Amino acid sequence: MSSNYVPMIVTLVIWVGLFLYLFKLDCKIKRMTKK
Amino acid sequence: MLCKISLSIWMATVIIAVFLLPPPQAQLGDVSRVFFFHVPMAWIAVLAFLLSLIFSLQYLRKKDLNYDIKARTAARLGLLFTILATISGSIFAKTSWGSFWNWDPRETSIFILLLIYGAYFALRSAVEMPDRRASLSAVYAILAFFTVPFLVFVIPRVYQSLHPNDSVINTRLQIQMSSSILIAFLASLVGFTWLFLWIFRLETKINRLLDEMEE
Repeated sequence: MSSNYVPMIVTLVIWVGLFLYLFKLDCKIKRMTKK
Repeated sequence: MLCKISLSIWMATVIIAVFLLPPPQAQLGDVSRVFFFHVPMAWIAVLAFLLSLIFSLQYLRKKDLNYDIKARTAARLGLLFTILATISGSIFAKTSWGSFWNWDPRETSIFILLLIYGAYFALRSAVEMPDRRASLSAVYAILAFFTVPFLVFVIPRVYQSLHPNDSVINTRLQIQMSSSILIAFLASLVGFTWLFLWIFRLETKINRLLDEMEE
C-alpha cells in the first residue's frame, strides 16, 4: 500500500472514533433514562 | 433509528466519494484527501465556539442553567474538534512539509485557541457554586469567542503561512474547486455538521441528567 494512504487511514480512524463515540453516548442515555 | 441509518449511509458515501470522486492533487497525491476531513473539523470547531457564545449570552439574559449546560457542551466539543483538526493537520504537515509541527501562523494561532478554551474549563473547575460558575464562564466564553475570528481567519492571512489561503475561497471570495472536489467537500461538511449536532444534542442531554442526579 502506498505511504500516501497512511494519513488517510489515520483520519478514517478519527472519523470512526467519532461515530463510535456517538453510539456510546446514545447507549449511555438509554441506560441513564432506564434507571 | 431512521436518522442513524441515514447518517451512517451518508458518511459511508462521503468516505467512498472522497476516495473515488476527486482526482489526487498533482503535487501531494492522495495525501491531499485529508483536506476533506481536516477543513470540516476546523469549521465545526468554529461553529461549536459560536454556539458556546450564543448559549452563554442566553444564560446571562435568562439565568437558566440549561443554557450553561449547552454552552459548556458546545465549548467541550469545540475543543475536541480543534484537537482533531490539529491532529489531522499535523499528519498532513508531516507528509507535505516534513514535520508534524512547524509553528506556522495557523498552527500557532490554533495552539493559542486550544489554550484559551482549555482555560475555560480550568475556570469552570475552579468555581464550585453552580450559578457563579455559570456566570463567570459565560462572560469568559463571550470574551474567548472574540479571539476566534482573529486566530482562525485573520492572523493566518496577515502573516506568511505554509497553509494555502485559497484552498476553499480565493482572494476574490470565489469558490475555486472543480465540481467533483466541491461535491465531495460539501458532502463531507454536511455529514460532519450533522454528526456534530447529534453528538451535541446527546451530550447536552447526558450533562442535564448528570446535573439532575447531582442535585
